[in-house]
Amino acid sequence: MILIQVITLAERLGVHRNTIRNWVKTGKIPARPAPGRGLLLSREDFQRLCQEFALDPGSLNPRELALAETREVVTVPVALALHASEQPERSRLPITFQEAVMSDKVVGSVLVVGGGIAGIQAALDLADSGYYVYLVEKGPGIGGKMAQLDKTYPTNDCAM
Amino acid sequence: MVECGRHLNIELLTLSEIDTISGQPGNFLVTLRQHPRYVDMDKCIACGLCSQKCPRKVPDEYQMGVGTRKAIYISYNQTVPLKYVIDKDHCIYFQKGKCKACEKFCPTGAINFDEPEEVRTVNVGSVILAPGYKPFDPTGFDIYNYEQLPDVVTGLEYERLLSASGPFQGHLVQPSTGREPKKIAWIQCVGSRNKACGNGYCSTVCCMYAVKQSLVTAEHLHGDDIQQTIFYMDLRAHNKEFERYYNDAMAKGVRFIRSRPHSVDPGEKNIGARIYYVTEDGQQVREDFDLVVLSVGLEAPADALELAAKFGLKLDQYRFADTSSFAPVLTQREGVYVCGAFSGPKSIPRSVTDASAAATAAAKNLVTARGTLTKEKTYPPERDVSGEEPRVGVFVCSCGINIANTVNVPEVVDYAKTLPYVQYVENNLFSCSTDTQVLMAEKIKEHNLNRIVVAACTPRTHEALFADTLREAGLNGYLLEMANIRNQNSWVHQQSPEAATAKAKDQVRMAVAKALRDFPLQRLSVAVSQRALVIGGGLAGMTAALDLADRNYETVLVEKSDKLGGNAWFLNKTWKGEDIRTNLQVLIAKVENHPKIKVLKQAEVKSVSGSVGNFQSDIIVAGRTETVSYGIAVLAIGAEEYKPNEYLYGQDARIKTHLEFDAELRERSAQVAKAGSAVFIQCVGSREPERMYCSRVCCTHSVHSAIKLKELNPDMQVFILYRDIRTYGKREDLYTKARELGVLFIRYDLENKPKVRKEGDNLLVEVVDPIVQMPVTIPADYLVLASAIVPRQHEQLMELYKYNVNTDGFINEAHPKLRPVDSLVDGLFLAGLCHHPKPINESVSQAMAAVSRAGVILAKERMSLDAIKSYPTEKCDGCALCVDVCPYMAIKVEEYRDNGQVHRRIVTDKALCKGCGLCAATCPKDGVEVHGFTMEQLQAQVDAVVAGFAQAGA
Repeated sequence: MILIQVITLAERLGVHRNTIRNWVKTGKIPARPAPGRGLLLSREDFQRLCQEFALDPGSLNPRELALAETREVVTVPVALALHASEQPERSRLPITFQEAVMSDKVVGSVLVVGGGIAGIQAALDLADSGYYVYLVEKGPGIGGKMAQLDKTYPTNDCAM
Repeated sequence: MVECGRHLNIELLTLSEIDTISGQPGNFLVTLRQHPRYVDMDKCIACGLCSQKCPRKVPDEYQMGVGTRKAIYISYNQTVPLKYVIDKDHCIYFQKGKCKACEKFCPTGAINFDEPEEVRTVNVGSVILAPGYKPFDPTGFDIYNYEQLPDVVTGLEYERLLSASGPFQGHLVQPSTGREPKKIAWIQCVGSRNKACGNGYCSTVCCMYAVKQSLVTAEHLHGDDIQQTIFYMDLRAHNKEFERYYNDAMAKGVRFIRSRPHSVDPGEKNIGARIYYVTEDGQQVREDFDLVVLSVGLEAPADALELAAKFGLKLDQYRFADTSSFAPVLTQREGVYVCGAFSGPKSIPRSVTDASAAATAAAKNLVTARGTLTKEKTYPPERDVSGEEPRVGVFVCSCGINIANTVNVPEVVDYAKTLPYVQYVENNLFSCSTDTQVLMAEKIKEHNLNRIVVAACTPRTHEALFADTLREAGLNGYLLEMANIRNQNSWVHQQSPEAATAKAKDQVRMAVAKALRDFPLQRLSVAVSQRALVIGGGLAGMTAALDLADRNYETVLVEKSDKLGGNAWFLNKTWKGEDIRTNLQVLIAKVENHPKIKVLKQAEVKSVSGSVGNFQSDIIVAGRTETVSYGIAVLAIGAEEYKPNEYLYGQDARIKTHLEFDAELRERSAQVAKAGSAVFIQCVGSREPERMYCSRVCCTHSVHSAIKLKELNPDMQVFILYRDIRTYGKREDLYTKARELGVLFIRYDLENKPKVRKEGDNLLVEVVDPIVQMPVTIPADYLVLASAIVPRQHEQLMELYKYNVNTDGFINEAHPKLRPVDSLVDGLFLAGLCHHPKPINESVSQAMAAVSRAGVILAKERMSLDAIKSYPTEKCDGCALCVDVCPYMAIKVEEYRDNGQVHRRIVTDKALCKGCGLCAATCPKDGVEVHGFTMEQLQAQVDAVVAGFAQAGA
């Protein structure tokens, strides 16, 4: 499990501390309150949180805790441990997107817009060759126009 | 689709729209607005109760408004994700403040009317836009009376009328009367090739979908008096095998009338419709039809402008994304790619090809981050069940109401309990739902089950899911049997529920009998050589090599001649006006200087051994032999121009083929400009009995050259003699422009081809003009023959790789719609002209797509193979009967010594074997068996059925 301070997160996101607490209450941030104005969340949730809000994990001063009740064996990743020992720079608030993406880091995921046959094929090819894919579809389900067709020419195969 | 929904590394974000995008290629931040579904996806089990109880009926978009759905709905039964959604605009609660019937009846409490809209930010390296198209809406197009007449429908509506999942269950009826229609007409180019509605382009797909619908219609209707009529301008059947399909339709009696009807009026008593049209010889005709289908075109999606503004893309005048021929999926913004119909109307295979191409483009920029965000599933160690007595668990699925409405599920459950070795039986509403999967894993552990039978739907879609659940519970995935009591039972026996229940019992009994004899199988895995071989150094081959190398795979490019570039050297400009040679030179320089590409010129592949993941070849390079090992190969061996033997070709210097005329234009344009007249003859060698395919590029090429001639010398008389002008897609604009410039188009029939003769020094072309219905003679200073594209000689290569070709000699793809660049040989991909004639942009797109498909194999260091393979048994004596029947060439005969004597037996190549079982069926002595489907297992199933008959008889 990862322990971070409410205040640190609030500062990094440019919101009030109570907003963070409200988010925790409504489940927007998948964490639970911990003693000493802290927030406790799983490693995956922590990484997701950082990714969603484009935060540098190190800047949140995270502490790794091996909690007996979850029986989770946690090893502290080297990078994370190093960052934790440094004092985070106070950034201008609120952070802008431009700032967040200033890094030259290449991200191994792709956004595919449209869940028709083309979007599906692109998503499958990428996901099968080592990239994480977000497939965005406007409607409630994928399949697009092809799912409405009866049969396809010239072989008269079923479109489904 | 199901694969997509279940993929560990694909996150589906439905009901979502792009809000903003910022950042740079390799690192974008995109905010998404996710609209509420008002149904908790984790809780919804898609039982359908909410929809049953919902009092509000709404016209169904999925059925194109022909039927109705409820305000809480799923679009169709196979939708992914299979979760209901509330349509806020029609929901009574949202509109009037009370109702909530769905909430009351939902058994899992999944309905949440307070679900807020969510804003999410995702961090991605590349973006692919595939928003698709919008079918043209003929409302307001008063000549067709679409709004007023119930019996005038659009092509997409007609698809729904034909479909078994459609509003009339696949029973084709006339909407106004509910009777079977007899006379059906299709009107082509509704909303395409029409400046009046702003769509000057050709929608590419409508000709073929109308032909398909006319043929499928014949399967739906009864009686001899059915008549299908297609009104068309030019019939555009330019894809692979389409020309044959079109000819087949003509042979089956579909009537093709070359005319654009000018009005559609109500039929008698407002039933059916009356079409007014003018035939080619100028006669006015009035004809009544029972049903009229408007072949509506494809338009840019409604949100095209918005998307373009957000992403900074350039759109063309029709609001399709503007892309170049040499980079068909790239946009003006680096890191953002387009595919599918968004960049112009296109058919399914081209959309799929484009999509794979966009995947390659997107992946290329992110090579360094490959595998950093993907997850792999891990499983607990497998339990050894070899010493255990069988303990079978049976899970009977109701599939909502799909099975339960016909089959008496509780009875089947009770029956299953009486079968031998069955320890646990359960009924699930949906066996495939996530919560049932968890439950299944728990029950396996709780009851120590070691064989599982799922009586539900088809293993084709769901076996992998259940096998996965077994593995998560520590069982081998092959200890699973499925009884398909839905597709093979409840769906087909809806009228006789009792017999269906009895059959379901039989099916369960058979599955249990086989399950008792199931044994654990281990998946095989083979190492994958992370290198690629590309055969052919033309445009497609070079593009493929470059993209493979850019994706960090060592690539060997084999070219037969001493120069890279292939056919592209003989061409001047693309139809969009891009210079081909300049682009070609840039590409050649990139390929030759790439550190990861090894170019072998004057080289030929001499031998091939191994299979996907591990090929080895000897390549003869200018006399020397080089051995190359590689994981995949891309075939891009091209094609060549047909040398005509008609129209006096070869007997006069003024008669040229397209490539020869391009050279003339390139080298002697001043002389060409002096010519007084030029005649183009289309379909030379194409669309004839010996070559029943369209060469796809020649119409555009002729029209493009004709425009060039008119620009060089506006007074030149330019004629194009054609059968159908096939300037598909946005190329139609060229055709329009040529007509505006005064190029004369004269149509001819195959039975009445133009005649070319020489009188003295004059070259004369005679053709029958169908409008004046008289022969006309045209003197020609140049005669350009649009000759066909024909495949090269590649028998030797075909023998080596065992791929196959169609009747025309073009290499076959694995599936014409869904796997357009995979060949039938695993690990072998296709690109360019060797697959079918095509223009440059499509060749490039195909080459990039081949790289994407290859990338799926090369991405893994080891490739896992299915465990269902054939194995020789001790009884094999090497008679080799099975060698001949194996369609995958996976069986070889070997000799071995035993007690000093030489024996023969077979060995099977596990990488090539697909477990089809032909060998086992052929073998007269049980010398070979397929694991997972052994004779003993099959026998047990047969015995189980027969036992049922015996019981019934007694």
